[in-house]
Amino acid sequence: MILNLFEMVVFGASFTAILIAGATHLRVNLALYSVQTLFIGFATAMTAHAHADDMGIYGIACAITILKGLIVPVCLVMAIDKIRIQSDAASIIPAPLAMHLTIVFLGLSYLLVRGLPVPLEFSRGWPGATAAISLVFSGLVLMLTRRIAISQIVGFLIIENGIYLFALTQTHGMPMIVEMGVLLDVLVGVMISGLLVFKIQHSFEHIDVTRLTQLKD
Amino acid sequence: MNYGAADTVVAWIVSLFSGFLLPILLIGTIRKVKARLQNRVGPPIFQALFDLVKLFRKKQTVSSTVSWIFKWNGAINLSVMLLLALSVPWLCYKPVSLGADLFFVLYLLALSRFSTVLAAMDAGSAFGAFGASREVTISTLVEPALVLALASIGILTQSSDLDAIFSFSNAALSNTSGIWLLVGTAVILAGLVELSRMPVDDPTTHLELTMVHEAMILECSGPNLAMLECSQLLRMAILFGLSAQCFLHSIPCVWTMTIVSQGIIHVILMFVIASCVATFESVAVKLQWRKVPEFIAYCLTMSLIAGLIAVGGSLVK
Repeated sequence: MILNLFEMVVFGASFTAILIAGATHLRVNLALYSVQTLFIGFATAMTAHAHADDMGIYGIACAITILKGLIVPVCLVMAIDKIRIQSDAASIIPAPLAMHLTIVFLGLSYLLVRGLPVPLEFSRGWPGATAAISLVFSGLVLMLTRRIAISQIVGFLIIENGIYLFALTQTHGMPMIVEMGVLLDVLVGVMISGLLVFKIQHSFEHIDVTRLTQLKD
Repeated sequence: MNYGAADTVVAWIVSLFSGFLLPILLIGTIRKVKARLQNRVGPPIFQALFDLVKLFRKKQTVSSTVSWIFKWNGAINLSVMLLLALSVPWLCYKPVSLGADLFFVLYLLALSRFSTVLAAMDAGSAFGAFGASREVTISTLVEPALVLALASIGILTQSSDLDAIFSFSNAALSNTSGIWLLVGTAVILAGLVELSRMPVDDPTTHLELTMVHEAMILECSGPNLAMLECSQLLRMAILFGLSAQCFLHSIPCVWTMTIVSQGIIHVILMFVIASCVATFESVAVKLQWRKVPEFIAYCLTMSLIAGLIAVGGSLVK
């Protein structure tokens, strides 16, 4: 039962999310996010193989790997270069503590999933759902504890990965057009938020979201 | 593992040879790789052996205020490490089975550290005391990580005996690469801390503000120092060997091989680990003292996840 190939891939994704919660260096965060998306893309390809080599799902796997694994991190790295901030030193709780918190959430999501009715084949539903829910939790921890806006974007992207993984492992696969729409939304969202971060930096000379309480024009 | 009489003799000879040669070759590899990365020629690969011989032939200088604790420290350390080297399955082959319970092994490691700490305090110099204080702080942090990592595979094998954990008999574990990789990483990270190597403590420096292990053995000289160095080399070989065992178990096709090829792959893995450690030490900087707990937190993360997977897996079963 413990960690066959599919389980290793999905738990590899949640493992990178845990490491992201522990790393404060923004470039390391983005590189780990890229690795996580590769894991998700690989899990998608394995699902496609299980669904009698469905070409649509293979297409989605390629699109995820290229759009979310390559273009989104590159956009964010460009944003980092522009605002010249390297690390998220001022998190609200220390990064190692946040990392251990996400491990606790991994255990919690395991317990939560045991209460879920598992619809599909028994072997993939449980580990997939556990990894997906723990991804959502890790993203939430990241969004709640970090101060720099880029980290919050990464947290949002991790939540999005988690929701996608949940849908992937609990259904027979969504129509390709829906997936493409979601991917496009994420891409545009990241580009807009990258621009916004730059604007915030430009007008307030910092991107610390906790200090954005007094907005003036 | 039941050997015939001839096999036992061969196992004794091979393990004595590797117990003697491997620690020296490992430290030689680390120093050589580090030197080559810094564009130096570096010491010969057997330099550690020459140093030990030189130290054993030197006269020992002992302060007039120290008690027997200080004088026996080297002997205690070396004998504990020799016992560990015989009982821990850090090689694929083992001549005797002394019963290596994982808690027994971990607390033998702690015992040798305890004796070094006492000796450092006994010598009465200020350096010894602060080195001891730092060493105890670090070891308190890293011990849970090491216990949890080894215990999590203990949960899977339903045994706390390291021999049973690392024997290739339980075929149900052959397809569980993930947990072996996690445990191997945790052991190697904990090993870096235990051995006072680079990100926590620089083994080559004698700068008083930063040294940890070197500060404790500052007062030792001659044969006493040689025995301490010997036990440190053995400790390194044992910890690298344990993590190499974990990585070896994570390769599924190794499980069906003969013991000879397993042993050869295992020794190669140990040297790969040594080279990786040397490379890491060349590119990394020593951490600030305040940052050391964060480094150990990563180690603890690996063990915690491995523990969760083990508990989760055995619950479902």
